[in-house]
Amino acid sequence: MKTLTGAERVFKALQLQEPDRVPFYELPNNKIKEEILPGSSDDDVIEYFDLDAVRVNDRKLPGYRIETLDASRFRNQWGTIMRVMSEYDSPHPVEGAIKTEKNLDTWHPPDPDEPWRYEMLAELVKRYKGQRAIIASFQDPFNIANEMRGAAAHYMDFVRNPDLVDRLAGLIRDYYLRYIRNCIEVGAEIILFGGDYATTKWPMLSREHFAKHVIPVLKALVDETKSRGAYFVKHTDGNIMPIIDMILDTGIHGLHPIDPNAGMDLGEVKKKYGHRVCLIGNVDCAYTLTWGTVEEVREDVKRCIRQAARGGGYICMSSNSIHSAVKPENYVEMVKAIRDYGKYPISI
Amino acid sequence: MDDLSEIAKSLVERDITKTKELTRVAINANIPAQEILNKDVVAGMQIVGEQFGSGEIFLPELLMAGEAARAAMILLRPLLTGQKGGRGYTGKAAIGTVQGDAHDIGKDIVLMMLEANGWDVTNLGVDVAPEEFCTAVKENAFQVLGLSALLTVTMPAQEQTIEALKAAGLRGKVKVAIGGAVCTQRWSDQIGADCYAADAAEAVEKFRLLIQ
Repeated sequence: MKTLTGAERVFKALQLQEPDRVPFYELPNNKIKEEILPGSSDDDVIEYFDLDAVRVNDRKLPGYRIETLDASRFRNQWGTIMRVMSEYDSPHPVEGAIKTEKNLDTWHPPDPDEPWRYEMLAELVKRYKGQRAIIASFQDPFNIANEMRGAAAHYMDFVRNPDLVDRLAGLIRDYYLRYIRNCIEVGAEIILFGGDYATTKWPMLSREHFAKHVIPVLKALVDETKSRGAYFVKHTDGNIMPIIDMILDTGIHGLHPIDPNAGMDLGEVKKKYGHRVCLIGNVDCAYTLTWGTVEEVREDVKRCIRQAARGGGYICMSSNSIHSAVKPENYVEMVKAIRDYGKYPISI
Repeated sequence: MDDLSEIAKSLVERDITKTKELTRVAINANIPAQEILNKDVVAGMQIVGEQFGSGEIFLPELLMAGEAARAAMILLRPLLTGQKGGRGYTGKAAIGTVQGDAHDIGKDIVLMMLEANGWDVTNLGVDVAPEEFCTAVKENAFQVLGLSALLTVTMPAQEQTIEALKAAGLRGKVKVAIGGAVCTQRWSDQIGADCYAADAAEAVEKFRLLIQ
């Protein structure tokens, strides 16, 4: 097979076909990036490692933070107060804006049509379209609602006030339906929604609650994406096996990360669902990439490729992210191992 | 369920109003607070814990039952503290999320389950430095200290806290339990914790075993 572009490679995998080699597009955390290539920009790392896709995350856009409260806290566009724990890791919600249902009466969602939201995406499209797949990523409405209400209150709403659950989810969904449309018009080719549906043990909610209140929102986002010709990838950590059928029934193209820390077996998931969805991830970042040796990283990459890459439909990535505790040499080894063992036809 | 008292049943049914009312009725009938706690609240929450542990109920239902138990505990707590003779509580513990980590929902669910099972629990908050954990242990008679970490990058702070307790001569004063999404039994053994709990239901049982 001729050598494909990164974009072609990723699209073939999402179409459940075999590309020339297993795709990879994970950018490391800024701290790791600085240790591997001091003084480099994201574009430098993308080019250096020849990543197959590039990504803009709406939570990292400057306008996502609408008010700085003090040295470590800010208010985001949803009204949630977030706390920055470290410059290298994601901020954490500390207080939501919707403490009571009445607050929702006077709350207004952000405006998805503001031009600044698409400037970074437009830059990536201009620079990389046709070479590397263009990903626009966001946070799942379920998880945004958790932050806006406070997790405990939101979970209890599913029992005591499901109308509020649906009302809040609907407002966030409608924002993202517009946002998805705009991103695809600008040139996004893959829409990725992150946000966990499960703990390491099992889902946060019952199947019934997922079916009634969460899956319909996900399906609306998937339908909008597919109707405009783009791919849809869903990220969720945790053991999602009790609800994986519902997630797949929405029609997603890709599922990340098949969390090994939650006992998700990549081989088993490939056997049962590999004909329905492209699997993405599973190289362990909780232990192997963090504390393992380069040999252990190499073996874990080989395991993932062996378990999921044959026949296509697999993108090799970590089991969450290349976070600040990952050893830089392990990230480098991971990329090398994917190149070494990921050529089709798979021979390991 | 047939053997359960009415208060316990109302807890299992997650009926906050009914639990509160029945607890009030029991108190007014001069039933000792300790008996209401053990035979009704703890008994009911043990069933809730089993339901959660087996996947019969999930976080929304668990938290609602916890609210019902909290409603009962608000009424019982002043009576338990003032009780003559014998310990009013199952045990005394403190839980905090370690330094550099702000996750609190898991910790708060464990706190809720422990309280509902008769523990006197102190919430030490989030981003708690090892020295702060040491101070809390030094100044209080905690029997168990719970350390929560949800990120790989903050797990080392669990080990640092245990080392800080050793350096301060406090390690023998308290049992240490760890928990959090990335924690494992292997990690617990490696850092010298006394136990690892995978979820809130397991935490209740393991905390109980630690103080036996």
